[in-house]
Amino acid sequence: MNRKDWAQLGKGLGFLSPWLIGFFAFTLIPVGLSFYYSLCEYSLLQKPLYIGLDNYRQLWADPIFWKALTNTFYYALMALPSGMMVSLGLALLLNADIRGQAIYRTIIFLPSLVPTVASAMLWLWLFNAKLGLINNLLGKVGIEGPGWLTTPEWALPALAFMSLWGVGHTVVIYLAGLQDVPRELYEAAEIDGARSWRRLWHITLPMLSPVIFFNLVMALIGTMQVFAVPYIMTGGGPTRSTYFFTMYLYDNAFTYLKMGYASAMAWVQLLIILCLTGFSFWSSRKWVHYQSK
Amino acid sequence: MQRIKLVFSVVLALVIVGVLVFGPRPGADRPKNRVVVSYWEKWTGNEAEQMKQIVTDFNNTVGAEKGIYVEYLSMSNVNQKTLVATAAGVPPDIAGLWDTQVAQFAAINALQPLDELAAVHGINEEYYKRVYWEGCRYNGKLWALVSTPAAVALHYNKRIFKESASKLRAAGLDPDRAPRTLDELDHYAEVLDVFDNRKRVERAGYLPMEPGWFLPHTSYWFGGGLFNPKTQKFTLTDPKVLRAYEWVQSYSKRMGKASLTEFRSGMGGFNSAQNPFLVGTVVMEQQGPWMANYIEDLKPKMNRWVMSKEEEKRLPTVEQRRANYEWAVAPFPSAVSGQENVTYAGFDVLMIPRGARHPKEAFEFIAYVNQQGPMEKLCSLHCKNSPLREVSEEFIRNHPNPYIDVFETLSASPNAHGIPPVPIWPEVNEELGVAVQKVYLLEATPEAALRESQARLQEKYDRFRATQLKRENQDKVAQTR
Repeated sequence: MNRKDWAQLGKGLGFLSPWLIGFFAFTLIPVGLSFYYSLCEYSLLQKPLYIGLDNYRQLWADPIFWKALTNTFYYALMALPSGMMVSLGLALLLNADIRGQAIYRTIIFLPSLVPTVASAMLWLWLFNAKLGLINNLLGKVGIEGPGWLTTPEWALPALAFMSLWGVGHTVVIYLAGLQDVPRELYEAAEIDGARSWRRLWHITLPMLSPVIFFNLVMALIGTMQVFAVPYIMTGGGPTRSTYFFTMYLYDNAFTYLKMGYASAMAWVQLLIILCLTGFSFWSSRKWVHYQSK
Repeated sequence: MQRIKLVFSVVLALVIVGVLVFGPRPGADRPKNRVVVSYWEKWTGNEAEQMKQIVTDFNNTVGAEKGIYVEYLSMSNVNQKTLVATAAGVPPDIAGLWDTQVAQFAAINALQPLDELAAVHGINEEYYKRVYWEGCRYNGKLWALVSTPAAVALHYNKRIFKESASKLRAAGLDPDRAPRTLDELDHYAEVLDVFDNRKRVERAGYLPMEPGWFLPHTSYWFGGGLFNPKTQKFTLTDPKVLRAYEWVQSYSKRMGKASLTEFRSGMGGFNSAQNPFLVGTVVMEQQGPWMANYIEDLKPKMNRWVMSKEEEKRLPTVEQRRANYEWAVAPFPSAVSGQENVTYAGFDVLMIPRGARHPKEAFEFIAYVNQQGPMEKLCSLHCKNSPLREVSEEFIRNHPNPYIDVFETLSASPNAHGIPPVPIWPEVNEELGVAVQKVYLLEATPEAALRESQARLQEKYDRFRATQLKRENQDKVAQTR
């Protein structure tokens, strides 16, 4: 590199520096430190005490860790497929060329604009066993609704059901993807006599598969990190039936002041998400179709 | 277009310069030549405003005289913020936290010991009710002083007792007084319960899980405890603790889990007009002295049963005033005969975080709050009892809670218990909360739930102590080098 190149590099780095400083100071260094702390007993105010892999060993033997992890997986198993299917179904319906299309799209998107705390409070009332709208409606058809958030058997499914409230964002992404499917493919299929179901199965879904894949990965990361809604609505109860991984991590860090243990949990969480995302990428070779290929 | 851009830029620049030159300055209202003491407090709303009155009193009197100015900031999540600020080396001079943080923060070296400063001001254990003084200490040192205390007692609805008088009498119970033993409480509760034709609870005489805040401490009323400081062992499998949890479960068994779950779902929040005690769907409950203030705010009619407030104020004695209240307070009955005035006494504290810049001046304020006059003013405003041994007659006479003397007696009792001196208390509290949930939801037998909690908590505590020991040894080695 000559002098001019160095000068240009300097200028480039100078312009990049706000981001670089932010990235190093608030992301890379804390992430690196969190790994070191995961090998320590650390309470923020005392010097970190190096204990090797003890935190990870303790995690392995900690029944609450396994309970929180299992709850998170159950939640993901319920919320993820249902969320994907409902949002895709809604997007397909909203893509139909009907009168008032824009109004319907707005209505579907509106709940996503409601702040998390407000929607949690709203759903607390909806789920109320005695006064809630859901049990009242069920009562009208002769079904006695359960205590949605107050019984351990129903609290987790209730939260998974509630997660459908926020599918508006995903629907919008699907809608954008649907606009991108070339019309000529449908025309060709119609000429060949393909009915709507076949057009959906052989054109829409394959062409939409990159979008489905994107939404799947984002939803996977989101559900593995679920926190705010159960924290507000159930606080992890009853009897830890809605106590999720991130809630236990938060409690360890900020309530019990066990920063080392919480850091170890964060690294385990990263590893799990990495594995699941990696698996999704590996499997995507078989079901995701890109137009350029 | 160019001109619009230019005008816009000039206006924007003028606004920025104007804000910089004439805008608000932090600490502009601080008086000069005074040491500024920063005070972070957890209370928000009314309680924050009431504490502000005490701060203002201090700044106008002792503060002005000694050249100290307390800068008061009320905030949420104050414990976490204090901890982070302390770790960063910029803590407040005073932190208003909870008793649950005394041992936890002291153990991790987040606080400054107050023994010497307290001695200078003549503050010692003679000055405080035992339970509060003990709660401020950990490992032989003083780490905090009280801001406002509380004690727990039985609150009962006199109107419903009166309306159900014939039923209560038929069951051999006196409708004009509170239950005196735990068996009697259960009996009263059973008579006062109301079920609909589908056997669903419509009104509960008593429910251990309402409000349920003090459930982890239930064993105190059974003569048990949670932790033995001498052996450093939890005592959750003690038969007395087991009896307490069995008693909690007996309510779910008697009233039906599904029915109770539905009933409790329909209850309003504590700080709402639908509070079950206020609407009369729960007749008796465990509460603290603050309840009188909440009733006054949310359902003032309950504090004006017979006459207006003006007429009530003209009555010469507190006993006469009590007739104007639809509710009454009595010590929560004990399961052990002869064990009287049992209570759980939690409290709020003022601490000086490690690294605070003005500890001496900060303690001047803490000591001021703990003087009888300011303390009684604050406790009256917050509707709480006093933590001090000496209580003035005016305090009792003019207190917004006409039953404050009950709380005074309870908190001064030898059977008043605080939280045990365990630095991992937040984990203990969480674990006991889950155990009690399992018990009243009939998910586990009391024995199984307590055995599980005992094993888990003891292991956590032993590990905590082992780490502390290792740390101390390391520090010793480092010092000798």
